[in-house]
Amino acid sequence: MWKQITNLNGDEIYMIISLLIFLTFFILVAIMLISMKKSFVDYMKDLPLEESERNIDNLPESERI
Amino acid sequence: MQVEQFNYDNKIVRDFGIATVIWGIVGMTVGLLVALQLIWPEVNFGLQYSTFGRIRPLHTNAVIFAFVGNAIFMGAYYSMQRVLKARMFSDLLSKIHFWGWQLIIVAAAITLPLGLTTSHEYAELEWPIDISIAVIWVVFGINMFGTIIKRRERHMYVAVWFYIATFVTVAVLHIVNSIELPVHLFKSYYVYSGVQDALVQWWYGHNAVAFFLTTPFLGLMYYFLPKMANRPVYSYKLSILHFWTLIFLYIWAGPHHLLYSALPNWVQSLGVVFSIMLLAPSWGGMINGLLTLRGAWDKVRTEPILKFMVVALTGYGMATFEGPLLSLKQVNAIAHFTDWIVAHVHIGALGWNGFMTFAILYWLIPRIYRTQLHSKRLANIHFWVGTLGILFYAIPMYWAAVVQGLMWKDFTPEGVLKYPNFLATTLEILPMHMMRALGGALYLSGVILMTYNLIKTVKSGSLLANEPAEAAALEPIKKSEPTAHRRLERKPLMFLVVSLIVILIGGLVEMIPTFTVASNIPKIASVKPYTALELTGRDLYIREGCVNCHSQTVRPFRSETARYGEYSKAGEFVYDHPFLWGSKRTGPDLHRIGGKYPHKWHFDHMLDPTITSPGSIMPPYPWLISQDISYKYLTSKMKAMKNLGVPYSEDEINNALASAESQAQKIAKDLEANDVQVEPNKEIIAMIAYLQRLGTDIKAEPVKEEDANEVAENN
Repeated sequence: MWKQITNLNGDEIYMIISLLIFLTFFILVAIMLISMKKSFVDYMKDLPLEESERNIDNLPESERI
Repeated sequence: MQVEQFNYDNKIVRDFGIATVIWGIVGMTVGLLVALQLIWPEVNFGLQYSTFGRIRPLHTNAVIFAFVGNAIFMGAYYSMQRVLKARMFSDLLSKIHFWGWQLIIVAAAITLPLGLTTSHEYAELEWPIDISIAVIWVVFGINMFGTIIKRRERHMYVAVWFYIATFVTVAVLHIVNSIELPVHLFKSYYVYSGVQDALVQWWYGHNAVAFFLTTPFLGLMYYFLPKMANRPVYSYKLSILHFWTLIFLYIWAGPHHLLYSALPNWVQSLGVVFSIMLLAPSWGGMINGLLTLRGAWDKVRTEPILKFMVVALTGYGMATFEGPLLSLKQVNAIAHFTDWIVAHVHIGALGWNGFMTFAILYWLIPRIYRTQLHSKRLANIHFWVGTLGILFYAIPMYWAAVVQGLMWKDFTPEGVLKYPNFLATTLEILPMHMMRALGGALYLSGVILMTYNLIKTVKSGSLLANEPAEAAALEPIKKSEPTAHRRLERKPLMFLVVSLIVILIGGLVEMIPTFTVASNIPKIASVKPYTALELTGRDLYIREGCVNCHSQTVRPFRSETARYGEYSKAGEFVYDHPFLWGSKRTGPDLHRIGGKYPHKWHFDHMLDPTITSPGSIMPPYPWLISQDISYKYLTSKMKAMKNLGVPYSEDEINNALASAESQAQKIAKDLEANDVQVEPNKEIIAMIAYLQRLGTDIKAEPVKEEDANEVAENN
């Protein structure tokens, strides 16, 4: 199986560049996620539910928008 | 903060809902009809307008763009208004969108049976309809972005991102895959040819599945599932992660539809690697959905709506597991061109799209009609009948696929094909085709039950056309947002641009080298353009939709070179606008059919396939024998081809008619010598000319040793 992926007669560069692009992109998304605050995530989670269905307004006063 | 009063538009949601149900029944009925034709070809009623090759595209288009399309708009118009806390931007645009889309569907339902097709799978509609689709899609986009801009909720919920990604990607896919040179109002040629056309088509085809059947439905899932289960989504962070990785990775995976074809090897390998990676975000989405039901599983026992959702998510999980599996070259070698692909797409369409649509209809219709569902019991019956239908559909198809795929590859100890007659492998799986038709019939009867249930529900309530709501107006931002994603989420246009960049990367990396680097498509000197008559025959081949059952690409396997002949090379297709490689072998491959049989064989075979192949399930094509060839646009077709880079000389174009007629005379004479009386101006003559030319050019070339090595390596 690996032979079919790696044996590209000099065209491996396309594969390596593509995987690097994805890796960079993935790391960027991961950094964004890690830096996200829990209160904001909880607020977003509850968006589709009606006011009455939400437990609390999750965002603290200073964070409200 | 000032609280504003406004209304949600429920009428447009209701309209799209009705269209979903009606087109669902139409699309599935046509599906049942084509399923029956694969057992008894006479179910085409002897009419060219209802023959498999013409109405199979009608079935796929009706289900994808009419049934699922209207369901997307129904769900998106309902959920978008509520998570953005705003009425749709413009009632007029909503109406134009609705009626425009329905007119496009009607145009498709008229033109496809007439044989007006471009032959690209899931993009068969001719250029005027393509333009209308683009216009209506933009209307939808303006309406959506208008609503987003006047929203009363600062941040866009994850469902809205999925809608934005859907909008932008479908627009890009549709436009790139529809670049055609018109010959007249109902005929055009794609500007791409051969391998490049194949790459563009499957980049489109694969991502139509991704961005029409998947991302909008994930958006619907993220809104409706929390509503139905009455609890928030399991992990919001996972939804962000799987959104970005899904839209990034999907675009790269298209080439897995073309494994072992003449596409450059490195593009195929990229397709394989990214398909396997795609499993992660797909399952991320499925798991996020299923875990949203945590603590609500007791409700799944009693609520048919949640049952539908669970099976929909399971179907999604199955289909997205199968995708990477099928893209492994070893699996693909057996499964490609068989019924496995048909089973795979139906797990997605019947399970994921169908069942989620039903759940949303059952949930939404009583709400906008301010009433209760007429009968929960009937909905439960629908659930079980539908689930049985899916099982009866998929299991026999998997079985048929493995049986037939292995039979194609079976050799006797003496080293010859065990089943040299293709038809023997088809007849073997007919009982499985019957069970599949039964599965389809069960599924359709479930939908009819649902329709009855919904009509009763609607009659017991009254539509709340304008649902009152209130929310505070947005105030200008005073301070900067703490994180990048939060800033992104409140800037819809920037979001659109970022998603556009993300989805463009994969396509560009694969396409630019294939289009620009000459060594990717090695030229073959002996390959020449089609003659005027052959080109006419090729257009008949396209009109009749032969490509729906016959591939034109011999893969480099011993089992295929022994059955069909030399495997297909990239350079053989350089004048093919469009490519006709096909994706399913209900009948044998035709790339090396040229010169294999005498003209009379083809005549008899078209008159009634059972004359030459007893038991064949191919329908007869008597109209090819009775209808005259139309040479009206012959010169303009050749001129169009010349504009696209096919090297026709001025002489060939100016004398096209004379050359076609003289070639037709020769074929008619040959037939006459074999006791077949047919005038040279009948369509059958052009069809024979084309079939006899197929794959013959390369025979003038000396055999290369490396070609034999390629076959040896794959076995």
